[in-house]
Amino acid sequence: MSSPTIAVEALEKFFPPALSGWRALIQPVTRPTELALAGVSFTVAPGEAVALVGPNGAGKSTLLRILATLIIPTRGRATLAGFDVEREAAGARSQFGYHTGGDEGFYGRLSGRQNLVFFAAMNNIIGTDATQRIARVADWMRISEELDRQVRTYSTGMTHRLGLARALLHGPSILLLDEPTRSLDPLAAADFRRQLKQELVGRRGTTLLFASHALSEVEEIADRVVLLEAGRVLACDTPQGLRASTGAPTLEGAVTRLARRPFRSEALP
Amino acid sequence: MNFLRTLRKISAFFWRDLAIARGYRGALVLETLEALFGVATYYYLSRFVESPELARELPAGNSYFAFALVGFAFFDYLSVSIGAFDASLEEAHQNRTLEALLVTQTPLPVILAGSALYPFAALALRTCVYLAWGVLLFGFLPQGANWPGAIAILFASVLAFAGLGIMSASYQILFKRGNPAKWIVLGVSGLVGGMMYPISVLPRPLQFLARLIPVTYSLEGMRAALLSRAGWREIWPSIAALLVFAAILLPLSFTVFGWALRRTKITGTLTHI
Repeated sequence: MSSPTIAVEALEKFFPPALSGWRALIQPVTRPTELALAGVSFTVAPGEAVALVGPNGAGKSTLLRILATLIIPTRGRATLAGFDVEREAAGARSQFGYHTGGDEGFYGRLSGRQNLVFFAAMNNIIGTDATQRIARVADWMRISEELDRQVRTYSTGMTHRLGLARALLHGPSILLLDEPTRSLDPLAAADFRRQLKQELVGRRGTTLLFASHALSEVEEIADRVVLLEAGRVLACDTPQGLRASTGAPTLEGAVTRLARRPFRSEALP
Repeated sequence: MNFLRTLRKISAFFWRDLAIARGYRGALVLETLEALFGVATYYYLSRFVESPELARELPAGNSYFAFALVGFAFFDYLSVSIGAFDASLEEAHQNRTLEALLVTQTPLPVILAGSALYPFAALALRTCVYLAWGVLLFGFLPQGANWPGAIAILFASVLAFAGLGIMSASYQILFKRGNPAKWIVLGVSGLVGGMMYPISVLPRPLQFLARLIPVTYSLEGMRAALLSRAGWREIWPSIAALLVFAAILLPLSFTVFGWALRRTKITGTLTHI
């Protein structure tokens, strides 16, 4: 068996309590006591697609942000392609593309192309190589025709696709996505899921770890599901395995039975 | 290879900021006019305050207007230098690009240096605009000025002020806004640094305090180079003092910033506004 591309070992994260007024001045040195992750462990094999599922506050985004080197864990260890995300953050950053489902994070006065050229340069991609890659990912994200417009004129979904294009620009071997289709219209979302599964994971062997509340999306993309609740892993199995072990006919039913409170996916009213 | 790569990244920041600034051409015109109003204010103020007592304290053969103009232009340089780093961080916070930048293969010191490049370049241009208004409309004539010396003072000042700017950015990244350290540095520098009056008119304790801040040496050196036609021998002490400040402040500021960054990654507030 090949070594995992993503390895999370007994990861714990505590945040300091939120302070206000003059006490905010001591916030940076306040002891972290608020639990976000409690000993989370799992691995993701090369070319595998794994979904993080769980209610709001379960720790999905915190986990992704730790892997993206934006947060330092309190205890435990996580590696991306062998690089420790805390001690070898620069090496880890060369391995992944990261995108949150928001529509922010761009320079509104610049065009989509200028933004991508800039972020390509930040990932050591310049000149003709950058031009070719931008053309490829823009085509893939169906934003080629809008690329020379200022980003501030983009719709939410368009900015979101630009964000995904940015995450893919340097051809990362690992993709970390936080609610990747949150702002996409249903057709674009379906198209994106298909491309993600067939092209990136299936053909190029990209390892995918994504958080999602859309269980239909999880069923379509994920090889395995990590169910988190209150910072703990409740289950880690294939969607079929989760259904079989709980006797539930759907993934949503399985997740609801495993979680201590009802899980509301986006499909529910 | 790494050095070239870093230079390319820093230049990418410059072109990014230039492209953004081109979208605000009106602001550029307004800033040029603002400089005119500032210079005009100092001109008419100087006509009011000039006196024999003051003339004795000024560089030989110079008016108070020339003295104040150089002080005003380069104090502005200090204030914007100190604010350049935390302004770029604040902007990155506001348009949420900080997180996108931090997951790229560009280390934060390069992000900081790159973000400050355009503001520093624009600032140099603005200083030239101040001086140009003085020359064109108000009879400021830096004849025989030691321009290479003035440029050397400017570079040494940038290094020293950058240390203060990065410290200020450390506060910004930890506490997000309301940076008292910046205003204390600017307030003390404005009072004792010699922007509007020679430091010789200050009481002795304040003169001593003036010797502990870089802006004093920056203004002394700049006035010597531009107004007193001083040679390298005369301006060298100012350059040396600024380089000593830079040698202390830059490593210290990077250490403080590294600590602040780590703390925000621990508290999870790195991208909070």
